[in-house]
Amino acid sequence: MVISKKVEFSASHICRSAQLTDAENERVYGLAANPLGHGHNYVVEVAVEGEPDPVTGMILDLKRLKEILDERVLEVYDHRLLNREVSPFDRVVPTAENIAIDIWNRMVSCIGERARLYSVKVHESSDLSVEYRGES
Amino acid sequence: MIVRLTRRYEFFASHRLHCSTLTEEQNREIYGKCNNPHGHGHNYEVELTVQGEVDPVTGCVVDISALDRLADDQILTPFRYRNLNEEVEAFRTLVPTTENLGAEVDRRLRAAWPGAFAGRGPRLEKVRIRETERNICEITHTR
Repeated sequence: MVISKKVEFSASHICRSAQLTDAENERVYGLAANPLGHGHNYVVEVAVEGEPDPVTGMILDLKRLKEILDERVLEVYDHRLLNREVSPFDRVVPTAENIAIDIWNRMVSCIGERARLYSVKVHESSDLSVEYRGES
Repeated sequence: MIVRLTRRYEFFASHRLHCSTLTEEQNREIYGKCNNPHGHGHNYEVELTVQGEVDPVTGCVVDISALDRLADDQILTPFRYRNLNEEVEAFRTLVPTTENLGAEVDRRLRAAWPGAFAGRGPRLEKVRIRETERNICEITHTR
């Protein structure tokens, strides 16, 4: 069984790779390569898999999941310029793909015993989302 | 018969809420985390409501492609993928709050409106700008 929780944060980012030339960055990322940055209201959906506890009826206490999201994601990401203020985006381009992987890495070890992290979905806009389910 | 039509547009941009005539401490107190020196960003949605008579031939209250061109020239092209504080002239001096952004969108559209619709046709009744699901600013012009 899978449960998911959704949170939102607002952040800015610059889609440019240090390994590409200016022309290549502009070709690959288009307007998103603007060196002064732009931003999004990101929606993150985190899904957790497990069997409900026979006593509580819960896979994972949703209050606890919200606390983990607050500590591990929102406090780190909300109202930030990702390239400057969130590791690893000083080295890795903060695309929606890399954000999903980073959120996975920040959360995977702290979900608890009954449950395991199932997927991290990052919606960058209403028509673009990516999903990461770990290395399996 | 007066009909209102609303058209929605979207752009992604970054901004920082900081007023140069306030102290650092006052800025932090008023704008909270929106005062972060590096800025942050949003998916802005702009809804334009136009009002007028339905044209008996076309069945339309507004030429949608003319409205799209106007929105594209006046809002989307200058604001899309931009750092509003650094790249939009008005926000070199004005704080790009949702209110001021709404007012700037409204001002730009009104200035270009007669050119786009040749003095006839629909009237821009309302500009609605949505910064987040919970933060929305509306500017309405009543006649």
